[in-house]
Amino acid sequence: MEELSCETVFTLPVLGDISESVAVTWIIMAVLVILSIILVRNLRVENPGKVQLALEAAIGWAQDFLEGILGKEGRRYIPYLITVLLYLAAANTLAPLFGFKPPTKDLNVTAALAIMSMCLIEYSGIRKNGVGHWLRHFTKPVPLVTPIMVLEIVIRPLSLCMRLFGNMLAGFVVLELLKFFVPLIIPIPVSFYFDIFDGLLQAYVFVFLTSLFMTEEME
Amino acid sequence: MISINMSLVYTIINLVVLYLLLRHFLIKPVTQIMEKRRKLIEDGLKNAENTQNEALQLKQEYENALSGAKEESIQIIEKARTTAKAEYDRIVGEAGNQAGSIIESAKETVRIEREKTMQEMQAEIAGLAVASAAKLIGRNTDDQENQDLYDQFLKEAGESHEDADND
Repeated sequence: MEELSCETVFTLPVLGDISESVAVTWIIMAVLVILSIILVRNLRVENPGKVQLALEAAIGWAQDFLEGILGKEGRRYIPYLITVLLYLAAANTLAPLFGFKPPTKDLNVTAALAIMSMCLIEYSGIRKNGVGHWLRHFTKPVPLVTPIMVLEIVIRPLSLCMRLFGNMLAGFVVLELLKFFVPLIIPIPVSFYFDIFDGLLQAYVFVFLTSLFMTEEME
Repeated sequence: MISINMSLVYTIINLVVLYLLLRHFLIKPVTQIMEKRRKLIEDGLKNAENTQNEALQLKQEYENALSGAKEESIQIIEKARTTAKAEYDRIVGEAGNQAGSIIESAKETVRIEREKTMQEMQAEIAGLAVASAAKLIGRNTDDQENQDLYDQFLKEAGESHEDADND
């Protein structure tokens, strides 16, 4: 099962070994940035084109959705969450469809995403209510729960990380097995389910839960 | 398969870079455009409302001015009518007075003239009588001549009488 491992694609002189997931992430980054530069090039206030309308509808939907969860104070975090949403959507769906291994299949990537989310969750809480309140909220509702509350700092991102990693890895494994045993036609609907539906769903869930935890922390 | 290595650090760096890039190239421009459009629409609506309010205010002002003008015109007409009536009364009264005085003076003149004429006539008749008496005394002529004298006398008297009437 060589497909499951993350191979080293090439080695850079200073950075050392570059794994497949990082390389694919770079490709996704390049595609996203180039696409956004192309799409944003001719924006107009009046008489927007169809492409612009679609773009605005997508960004507007994401902003409304996240603002609905985070509220007005959480507006500053929305660009990052949209970035994660776009990156995950691209990584989960586009990468397998174009023949790459999804980067989210690598635990390093999901762990990195989860660590970022953890930092964001705690930062949003501290920024909103101050360090004192942030420290005190571990002892509520009773001091007895403090260990659990402290553990929650790690548990929440860990669950995010493992959920994403497990889903993508499982989908990938199922699809590879299916491709190995029944290489004809059957993998198409399964690929639609695991790559597109599950990929988008996991991207949505990751961002949704991150924003939900942030709201919880900002209370 | 499950191992944590340097890829984690690279991915974090990648994510931060991607966040900065997308924020700059995608989210900021799109949000700005949407914000601009929202502002444009809001401004348009506000302008429309302002214009409507202004129009309503102007209409109110015009209506007020119009009703004021109507009242004023009625007042002016009323005043003019009163003035005209007073003037008319004054002129008619004056005219009546003047006419009365003219008639009065005319009557007076006529009366004086008549008296004067009467006196003149009396004087003339007396003169004539004296003259005719002198003639009768001075010239004892025939009947024919007497008859002529009478006629002449009567004629002169009639002429003088007519002259007095004509005066």
